[in-house]
Amino acid sequence: MDFAHFFMSWIDLQLLSLVAIGTFAGIYVGAIPGLSVTMAVSILISFTFSWEMYDALSLMIGIYMGGVYGGSRTAILLNIPGAPSAIATAMDGYPLAQKGLAGEAIGLSTTMSAVGGFVGIAVLGFAAPAVSEFALTFQPRDYLLLAVLGILLVGSLSGESLVKGIFAGALGLTIGCVGLDPLTAQERFTFGQIELWGGISFIAVMIGLFGVSEALQQLQHVDSEAVKQVIRRIVPQWSSVVKYLPISMQSSLIGVIIGALPGTGGDIAALMSYDYAKRVTKNPEVPFGQGAKEGLIAPEAANNAAVGGAFVPMLTLGIPGDAVTAIIIGAMFIHGLNPGPMLMIERPEMFWFILGALVLATIFMLIFGLTGIRLFVKIVELPRAVLFPLILLLSIVGAFAVNNSIIDVYFMLGFGVLGYFMKMYGYQIGPVILGVILSRLIDDNWRRAIISDQESLPRLFHGIFTSPLSAVLMIAVILIFVSNTPLWSWGKRKLFPAQP
Amino acid sequence: MHDPSRRLPGERLFSLLLVALSLFLFYEATKISGFEGLSAPGSFPMFATGSMVITAVIVALQTVRLPESDEHGWRAILPGFVIFMAVMMIFYALALKPVGFLPTSFVFLLISTKVMMRSSLAKAALISALSLALVYVVFRLIFSVLMPEGIVPEREIIAGMRSILSGGGQ
Amino acid sequence: MKSKLLGAVAALMVATAPALAEYPEKDIQGIIQWGAGGSTDTVMRAVTPHAEEVLGGKVVMQNMTGGVGAIATKYVGAQDADGYTLLMGAENPQLYKVMGLGDTDYSDFTPINIIARGVPLIVANNDAPFNNFKEMVEYVQAHPKEVKFGSTGPGGLPSVVTAMLTSEVELPVTFVPYDGDGPALTALQGGAIDVMPAVLGAAIEGVKAGRMKVIALVDVAANPALPDVAPITVDYPGYEKYLPWGPFFGIFVKNGTPDDVVQKLSAAYGEGVKNAEFVSLIEGRGFTVLNLSGDEARSFLNKWQSVTSWLVFDAGIAKASPEEFGIPRP
Repeated sequence: MDFAHFFMSWIDLQLLSLVAIGTFAGIYVGAIPGLSVTMAVSILISFTFSWEMYDALSLMIGIYMGGVYGGSRTAILLNIPGAPSAIATAMDGYPLAQKGLAGEAIGLSTTMSAVGGFVGIAVLGFAAPAVSEFALTFQPRDYLLLAVLGILLVGSLSGESLVKGIFAGALGLTIGCVGLDPLTAQERFTFGQIELWGGISFIAVMIGLFGVSEALQQLQHVDSEAVKQVIRRIVPQWSSVVKYLPISMQSSLIGVIIGALPGTGGDIAALMSYDYAKRVTKNPEVPFGQGAKEGLIAPEAANNAAVGGAFVPMLTLGIPGDAVTAIIIGAMFIHGLNPGPMLMIERPEMFWFILGALVLATIFMLIFGLTGIRLFVKIVELPRAVLFPLILLLSIVGAFAVNNSIIDVYFMLGFGVLGYFMKMYGYQIGPVILGVILSRLIDDNWRRAIISDQESLPRLFHGIFTSPLSAVLMIAVILIFVSNTPLWSWGKRKLFPAQP
Repeated sequence: MHDPSRRLPGERLFSLLLVALSLFLFYEATKISGFEGLSAPGSFPMFATGSMVITAVIVALQTVRLPESDEHGWRAILPGFVIFMAVMMIFYALALKPVGFLPTSFVFLLISTKVMMRSSLAKAALISALSLALVYVVFRLIFSVLMPEGIVPEREIIAGMRSILSGGGQ
Repeated sequence: MKSKLLGAVAALMVATAPALAEYPEKDIQGIIQWGAGGSTDTVMRAVTPHAEEVLGGKVVMQNMTGGVGAIATKYVGAQDADGYTLLMGAENPQLYKVMGLGDTDYSDFTPINIIARGVPLIVANNDAPFNNFKEMVEYVQAHPKEVKFGSTGPGGLPSVVTAMLTSEVELPVTFVPYDGDGPALTALQGGAIDVMPAVLGAAIEGVKAGRMKVIALVDVAANPALPDVAPITVDYPGYEKYLPWGPFFGIFVKNGTPDDVVQKLSAAYGEGVKNAEFVSLIEGRGFTVLNLSGDEARSFLNKWQSVTSWLVFDAGIAKASPEEFGIPRP
């Protein structure tokens, strides 16, 4: 009875506590910028080498689920996302904390992360084979269109000036090109330095732009008192859970699909569903960017849903859905399994075991997320003179830890200063990071697509409009692009003159 | 925050610097593979840096035309603490490799906490030591990140400690 | 109080003193050229715990990725030659010189152990209109530029294997670049590419499950993991002069490391690679265990470099002639 393995981690006390410890540790790993789930899981490979496989997997799954959620903590409290998938969370989470509503924001994001987690697991449990076959049908041109759809988010993230937003996005794309071109090993923007061959670490850019520049900015008011957080309610009211359930379900579905695509993960999922929420929410209580709850919920639900999504191709085909599942595949090899298309047939109990452990980790995430808040919120109430030097130190260590490279530290500091001035002069940081995340996806898939069509643009467009999937994506790209231009509002006025 | 209808001190300079940076990067991008073809490694970088050039020029033109802001001085852009911390971080980055992680970080934390809290040296030292210990335990001991050792022979000490611990356990 | 503290410090000094006399007296750093979860990473993390037991020390492994391994190679080359920094890598540095990726290769390093070698094979999408190497060659020649081959950049396994193939037959195909064999094999299953030369270990599970078909096994003998597939040399004996060929994994220290340290490390990893658990793990992934050290390892490296460098040079994908670097023609 393979399905019985679903409950294996629930009834075995040792496995249960390993999942719990993993989830708890994961929340903190996720919250500290520079400590990533990828790092934690790859260290666990050596650490759990001599363990039983079930024990090792329990711990890794806990860390994964907790870590994806944990990034939201520092995003909300300090405006410093602890992980790339929490970048979108900061945009509306931090304004809420500034209003003294950190407790409520964390409560809501925890609940909706759990909803996202469950949706992801449900899709994994009920539709994994179908979803993974669907993910495989994505051709290079579809990835290209998806990435273009992503880069159009610049329109939502630009703030006061679209031109400055596009500049920031293009800067991000350029940063993403630095290093040896992964496809031809041609040097790009390396200035002859071997240290730059590996490119500029995306995490180092993120820590610099968000962590250091934010710390510098807040040092302007080093003597002012921290915002006093009122913690009345942490567990959100039932009515508000119900109210926001539709948007979190929709975001979760975006999260699962993007998570299941090999090559895209929780960071892109979170940003795309933030944009989605912004488009579909007609009358938010507060405008987006100033503490809209929809803007907090959507990315949080999506990034946890992407966890279940990432396991879809991994468990059905042995294809990792993201960096963490790639390492878990390595761990399974070391423990004598052969993750691949045969895993579901030869060892179906593994599928059920992982599913059960994921559900358990989500439950623990909910419990730990809702109980530890008071203590966590105290962090923001620390004197700034203590907090900010520590954040800067963590930023430096974190940037170093990504690839054990001192060059990354220098870049991190450089981007910190650049980010400080950009914020000062009305440039948004979001588009830069968006550009860095999407740069490789656009560049690689553009080239693959155009090479496959023998360098012919007409052939490429012919391919796009004869494939249903590509056509749908292309139409979405066109619609979103047009909606960002004046043409749209003009057309809308013409067509629906009566609308207020 | 930033008021788009007024020009802050340094904003004009910053926008011109960005134009210069964009032009430089565009020039670099054209050198990667030239205009070889649609799939050349240099095509996408040229597109990205080209967009930078265009937008940077537009921003610069807009900025130059803005009236100067009268209420903000340079102090508002770069308050003392920000300059102080930026300088501290530059020193930190320079000293990290030769001197090593532990001493550099301790001095960094000590000075910045002391100056910003205006507290006694002892209190600042205590806080710094605690913060550093926390970071060290998490990153070095749990996550095995080997920060530059510099003048402190960390790995010998840790190996020594481990041999004592295991010796004691037998 | 103070004296107690001093006593403790003194005790620590004394306690560490005997350890100082013998290698390893501190943690060893293991620099892995490739990312977490990749095959190099998996192999290194699987063998090292067994070697640690023999060595009696700890090896802290870190991934230092980028520049097809050049960054890690350069980093280890810049450390002291004291045996406290190991380079854990794959075959790539042996091609840096001819590929114009710098002037280092493994001749600047002393091999501790050449752990294992992979076997290349050529797989195709199930819908591809050919089922074996002969049919593929005919189809490709009848439909020039239409068949899409996956590749992983210059010097990667697909480029070398293709160079080998084109030395005997003409193959006018379109190369679609991917940044690793994993993503390329995924694309193969989705139909974005038609054919992919890959290492057996990466493709074996997909083949077993019938998600892709084997076109050719690029080796001189059938492989126990795929007993029904005949080696390519049966129909095309011309390839015998290059084979057996395959990517490999090895552990290295910088030249100039004291002999006793090299001895000790070689002995430890030699034991580690022999471990039954490790052997079954690595053979299950379709790799052939080599366990070479000392002169054997050195001559393996030299032969590999000479065969491959000339192969890619003759195929016209190298940036410089192997002759410039004194690499003899095999």
